[in-house]
Amino acid sequence: MNTFSNRAVKGLTKIGNIYCPKNGEFPAYEEVAGLHFLNTLAVNVPKDDFTSLNLVLIIFSFLPNGILRWLVGKFEAAQEDDSEGIIASTLRQLNLGLRGLCYSTYYSEFTNPAYKGRTPMEIIDYKVNRVTN
Amino acid sequence: MIYDFIVVGSGSGGGALSYYLNKSGANVLLLEAGKFYRKDTFPKTEAETSAQLYWGGGIEFAQNGKMGFLRTKMVGGSSIVYQCLMDRFDDIAFNDWRAESGVDWFTPEQMDPHYSQVESDMVLHTFKREEMRPNGILFADACDKLGYKWGFLRRGQSDCGADKGNDCVGCLGGCFRDSKQSSLVAFIQKAEKEGLKIQAETEIYKVEPNKDTCKIHGFHQGKPVTLEAKKVILCGGAFGSTRIMTMSGYASKLPALGKKFASHPQFMWLGFQNEPVDAHKGMFQSVASKDPNFRAQGFKLENVFASPISIGMLMNVTGAKHQHYMKQYRYMQCIEVAVRDENIGEIKCDNKGKLTIVKPLTDQDKTRRDKGLHAIENIMNAAGAKEIFKSNFYFGLHLMGGCVMGTDASKSVVNPDFQVHGEQTLYIADSSIYPNAPGINPGLTIKSLGHRLATQLLK
Ligand SMILES: Cc1cc2nc3c(=O)[nH]c(=O)nc-3n(C[C@H](O)[C@H](O)[C@H](O)COP(=O)(O)OP(=O)(O)OC[C@H]3O[C@@H](n4cnc5c(N)ncnc54)[C@H](O)[C@@H]3O)c2cc1C
Repeated sequence: MNTFSNRAVKGLTKIGNIYCPKNGEFPAYEEVAGLHFLNTLAVNVPKDDFTSLNLVLIIFSFLPNGILRWLVGKFEAAQEDDSEGIIASTLRQLNLGLRGLCYSTYYSEFTNPAYKGRTPMEIIDYKVNRVTN
Repeated sequence: MIYDFIVVGSGSGGGALSYYLNKSGANVLLLEAGKFYRKDTFPKTEAETSAQLYWGGGIEFAQNGKMGFLRTKMVGGSSIVYQCLMDRFDDIAFNDWRAESGVDWFTPEQMDPHYSQVESDMVLHTFKREEMRPNGILFADACDKLGYKWGFLRRGQSDCGADKGNDCVGCLGGCFRDSKQSSLVAFIQKAEKEGLKIQAETEIYKVEPNKDTCKIHGFHQGKPVTLEAKKVILCGGAFGSTRIMTMSGYASKLPALGKKFASHPQFMWLGFQNEPVDAHKGMFQSVASKDPNFRAQGFKLENVFASPISIGMLMNVTGAKHQHYMKQYRYMQCIEVAVRDENIGEIKCDNKGKLTIVKPLTDQDKTRRDKGLHAIENIMNAAGAKEIFKSNFYFGLHLMGGCVMGTDASKSVVNPDFQVHGEQTLYIADSSIYPNAPGINPGLTIKSLGHRLATQLLK
């Protein structure tokens, strides 16, 4: 079973606060994210990919926020450019993989149980009716 | 025990094929790498759906990281999450298949009985004007203004409960009403009642065919298994079947293995309206472009949408800018272009089974994309969008090729009888055998090819 280390969760929280900061009605990632739910998101991730992702997040946990912001800028830029090289490719995959993890725990029905404010799903007014038969 | 038939993979191809084989009273085993979910056990949230139902834990990437591929791992395969738009191929698609493969039965006439049988085994619904939602109305009205032709979609569904307030966006993670005509609903559950044996959580990595039978090796819930049948049919999809064939050592015998991969690259743009569009409410999709000029130019437009996480992923912006756009989720109209791409992609697999997908866009693909995006921009402007988010992330839902069908063993993997070249007991019948990209939803044809093979095997 893929399990994120505590240090990796710390790294994800730091990068999550850059992707989803406290801003107007929106809570900061660290306030609302359903981090208790994180490991269930990694059940089908191939072992090698998971190990690399966990390691990247551990490294992020030690980096100052300024460097992380710079890195996020690099990720976004890689997505927009046409280069086929390995560095650009890795940055793009990180861009999508990390945003995927953050958004999956931010725009989520499983938010931090301690958070009592309006959730991002409520703020964007997303409601889906499931009428079963 | 030696089965009559083992079908490996239970998606669009495997589900239909095993249903038709089982109907004859043959002893059929359907194997599936993923779990067995039903309407009341499908994950209920977008995050769980991506993580639990998809190979790779959500998305798999092309080697250049530019394109993502979506395919699911569960009984029913990608048909559990597909939109179930069921289209027959036209002359253009079949002419190009014949030219590429040398297979003379790729014609609308020869495929007609197979299409007809599959269509009669599914509940199909063609949308009507009164079922259109604002996202569709904005699209259709703007197309009318611009002189683009559009039409109502035909979808496999029995009772979606839209009149009772059901929101079909939820069925992107599996239909919880058994309305959507997935392989699970239209074929597998029916065949199960008629005695089809189904073994989920069984991942095959190697086939060993001989003259009379074929052995297969894999893991069931982590434990090694070997099974045997008079005939084995691979239906693991473009990535799955190519992977099994490569791990079984066919790359040196069949140089076309892994080649001719295409995927209808899709680009989704968002238009921001002043009034709520609520594209996630009610029936999800009802219209698409039906413009012969678009068909001739190699693209089509669909009127789609997605749940919040996916929409967030489309927009390559972060922080306050990201939140600014997400706040307008209910105001988004959405259109995508699907490109009829050239089949120059490649599915590579190392000896541990790790896949590498090489999928560059050719100049022709880019021209087709740009024409499609230009049409989207025109439609959104004509619909009064105050801003358009032009996402450059693209993805493939229609994974095709890798084990293509053809008459020439140096350029294809299976012969016109679906048999792996040089083998008597090993067959392939899924989207991996597509000779090139049809530019049309592939699902109905995959099922109909399954029916054709079943008819042939039961003769
Ligand atoms: C979101 C989405 C929307 C779509 N919408 C439409 C649509 O509206 N209309 C349409 O026509 N098409 C649509 N498609 C495409 C369509 O679903 C696929 O083209 C089709 O299902 C492919 O059929 P297949 O049998 O080749 O593969 P799949 O349906 O992918 O099935 C392959 C199965 O084999 C299993 N498998 C793979 N490897 C192994 C192994 N080693 N051992 C055992 N089992 C294995 C997989 O887990 C899977 O269940 C959509 C796809 C997606 C993802």
